[in-house]
Amino acid sequence: MKEFRFKLIIIIAAIALSVYLLYPTYLDYQSNKDIKQTIETDREQLIKSNQDLTKTQIDNILRVKEDSILAANPDIVKNRENRVKLGLDLQGGMRVVLEVNTGKLLDKLAKNPDQVFTDVLAESEKESQQTDEPIVDLVARKLTEKGIRLSRYFGTIRDDDDKIISELNENTEDAVTRAMEIIRNRVDQYGVSEPSIQRQGSKRIIVELPGIAREEEAKQLLQGTALLEFRIVRDPDFTFPIMQRIDEVLAGKIQDSTDVTSDKDKSETTAGDTSLTSADSLKPEGELTEEEFKQQHPFFAIALLDPQGRSADAYVHSDERNKLEMMLNRQDVQKVIPNNVEFKFSAKTNQDAEGREFNIMYLVNKEPELTGGVITDANANIDPNTSTPIVTMTMNSEGATEWARITGANVDKRIAIMLDGGIFSAPVVKGKIPGGRSQIEGMADLNEAKLLEIVLKAGALPAPIDIIEERTVGPSLGEDSINKGLTSVLLGYTIVGFFMILYYRKSGTIAAAALIFTILFILGILAGFKATLTLPGIAGIILTIGMAVDANVLIFERIREEMATGKTIKASIDSGFSRAYSAIIDSNITTFFTGIILYQFGTGPIQGFALTLMIGIATSLFSALVITRVMLDLMVAKNIPVTVG
Amino acid sequence: MRFFENFNYDFLGKRKIAYIISGGLFLLGVISGLTRGFHFGIDFKGGSEIVLQFEKPVNIAEVRTDVENIGLGNIEVKTFGGETGVMIRTEIQVVPTAVYPNVIAGIEKEIEKMIPGVPRRLIDSTASSVTYAFENPDTANRIIDGLFEAGFQSGRVSEEPDNTQMLVSVGIADWIKENLREKITENPFTVLKEDRVGPKIGEELKRDAVLAIFFALIAILVYLGFRFKFIFAFGAVAALFHDVLITLGLFAAIYGLFPGLNLDIDLTIVAAFLTLIGYSINDTVIVFDRIRENLKIHKTRPLFDVINTSVSQTMSRTVLTGGTTLLTVLVLMIFGGEVLRSFAFTLLFGIIIGTYSSIFVASTLVYEYATKYSKKVEF
Repeated sequence: MKEFRFKLIIIIAAIALSVYLLYPTYLDYQSNKDIKQTIETDREQLIKSNQDLTKTQIDNILRVKEDSILAANPDIVKNRENRVKLGLDLQGGMRVVLEVNTGKLLDKLAKNPDQVFTDVLAESEKESQQTDEPIVDLVARKLTEKGIRLSRYFGTIRDDDDKIISELNENTEDAVTRAMEIIRNRVDQYGVSEPSIQRQGSKRIIVELPGIAREEEAKQLLQGTALLEFRIVRDPDFTFPIMQRIDEVLAGKIQDSTDVTSDKDKSETTAGDTSLTSADSLKPEGELTEEEFKQQHPFFAIALLDPQGRSADAYVHSDERNKLEMMLNRQDVQKVIPNNVEFKFSAKTNQDAEGREFNIMYLVNKEPELTGGVITDANANIDPNTSTPIVTMTMNSEGATEWARITGANVDKRIAIMLDGGIFSAPVVKGKIPGGRSQIEGMADLNEAKLLEIVLKAGALPAPIDIIEERTVGPSLGEDSINKGLTSVLLGYTIVGFFMILYYRKSGTIAAAALIFTILFILGILAGFKATLTLPGIAGIILTIGMAVDANVLIFERIREEMATGKTIKASIDSGFSRAYSAIIDSNITTFFTGIILYQFGTGPIQGFALTLMIGIATSLFSALVITRVMLDLMVAKNIPVTVG
Repeated sequence: MRFFENFNYDFLGKRKIAYIISGGLFLLGVISGLTRGFHFGIDFKGGSEIVLQFEKPVNIAEVRTDVENIGLGNIEVKTFGGETGVMIRTEIQVVPTAVYPNVIAGIEKEIEKMIPGVPRRLIDSTASSVTYAFENPDTANRIIDGLFEAGFQSGRVSEEPDNTQMLVSVGIADWIKENLREKITENPFTVLKEDRVGPKIGEELKRDAVLAIFFALIAILVYLGFRFKFIFAFGAVAALFHDVLITLGLFAAIYGLFPGLNLDIDLTIVAAFLTLIGYSINDTVIVFDRIRENLKIHKTRPLFDVINTSVSQTMSRTVLTGGTTLLTVLVLMIFGGEVLRSFAFTLLFGIIIGTYSSIFVASTLVYEYATKYSKKVEF
């Protein structure tokens, strides 16, 4: 027994680890089933009770409902994060490859483009379709051939061509970064779960959006110009009373809607007084239990205010944001919020001391003071005097005049910088800014400053992007594929297992049992490394089932041959394993090579196939060379007769 | 139970038969390739592909006439899966200018149906989208939702609450769907799958696929040359070429012969080819491993006999593993669903030809090479 102990421990540990890694997947499957059922019953009720709701409206209500279920149970979200990830082809969704249109970008960057330039650009664009040469190089070459210096269209008059080319390349580079940031911001605002935004090569972006139902909305997330706005953040004196009213409405203290509107008017005029009372009524919160507080102050239980400060910035845990948005969208709540303001969230999340993510919610004017078109440049830097990160922003003359007026009228107030509805920064205006050059301070680090730079440029310099590849899989096809895949795995296993038992008897039974572990290991590894299971990936598992027995077949055939020469069963097992070894290793390594190449050259689903194929090879070798071996040796040691057919 | 016990067969002696079979299959492939040509999917050609699932069985010929009548020229229409699935494919990238007015008329008609005479302005139209402006956000939202439910790809221009503009995208796929929805009213459909590949990407994918297969063969050549002798590596890779070319020839030969089996060469098929390479080489290596072993034991026996014995000895394993893999692939082909069918089919045929080649072709080539250059093969 002792000689096997180490191997047995390894085997049991591997099995235990796989089960542990797969447990969240099981839990997630269960909770998904429950949620789906709840949503379906709700849908039926909604359709019955509100006949005039459109399908889209119902979908939206149910989406919010689903979000709130998820928000209430952090465990579900956690399991979802740790489950085996399904590819877009299995869960439905959209995969888009975007490419920055360098031609359009050059056209926008060029100063005084004339007919010659337009022609050269058009020619270069056409040529770049056939060759891989970058458009910047093509344009540069063609202009040089015509004897025109690049500085005629780009940069300043003194710059030589090389410098301009490197600047243009930098601009292309920037455009990709900007496009990625714009898309990431929109996808975050839109609330797509588990999005993936990756950069490929110098000017491509791959976006994967699982479970997107409204394809057109998704496409707009990806294209179109970004909207950069500057909006005034309202003072605490103004914001507090409104929050107070919302809280009261939600707690059910105010029912009569006519009363509410008149109250609202009052609160606007006598904002100072009400804010005092609100502070008073907030006091007893320490005496209430958490549950009671939630009941009596549903709003303040989610939108957390700094108890000491006079700031009205509410901290909202990201998993509760949907719930809060749903509250704010209620009609009775909308009535107590003045028409000219709205609550908006920070675009990026921060982490609190416990590591929970939160967003900051601001009350801002609905009407922007200024939009991003007026910005000509932005730059993130380290201030040499204070060694802190700063962002400088330059505006055109038209914008500068407006900006001077806005900043002059709002000294000591805050202005939110918003991109596509998400707030990136809300700096305080220190004084009137004439001349259009502003400096923004207070970023935590240079990265944050860089992000703000990208955001500020997004309104001014668009990043023209084209969709060059697009693949959408409807959710029903994905579900169908999963079911068919699982059926095939089960059936394939049954046939192969049955055959092994029939042909090799006891050894075959062991091999069939080891095959279960092979499949378990594959899935466990997928879950553990957060790899993605795709439909071709399932095909890879099925193929592995067929090929995994190969190592066993090789070994058992060898054992049979050895036994035919008259050796004992123990000796036959020993030499059978050792002599089959070279064939098993050589043949599997070559197959593994093709797997690696497949992974390198393939995209999405194909990579999934290559991955399961490679994992399958590794795990089936472990099953055949370790598990089967130990089982056979154990049987021999315990004097249990071993048969190989 | 055991097959091929004490099996010994003169494989090399019968190699002429193998040459005739392989040569015949190869010739068939070349002739079909030249006369019938290869059919590439949109992965390599670029274009759009939509897969629709109708609620009731649908007449494919009817769908074809409907689609052909909308002015997009030649469009492929095929069944997908059972009687309710339809796949539509075209290489056209954008809606032709001649058809464009019809597209706008279609949108106008739908808007009129919802709110007759609603004030609106057509503010922009590009090759792929139309933008409308309405008087107030509520009207805009109502029409956006309504059009979307009617099957149009409509959406807000901006996510701002006061947005009054609507963007309707008029891609090829959208246009086909809109038309079908109008023409086949009694049988609604849902979109199962929609792919669009730009022409440039198609070229790149094609290049990558060729490179992948090329590199796989090189890697195998190097590894086997290192582990065995160059002559074996040569035999194995030549046998792989044999497998890939014959399977490719089969694609040209039987394209379109079986309804429900879509044999367009796309990315999945390339993956199947690479898997076939991996599987076939696996098989061949095991035979070679036995030859290597027997050559070490019987140093004086002629290569002819050693190869015959080795192939015979490994016969049961070759057939068994081939059999189990074939069974699982068969399961995949029957139960794995439409998306994986062509993949499974390629492997099904590939495994048969791969098993055949590792028994009859790979070692035969090693033998021919050794005799031609009177090389002594030893380890």
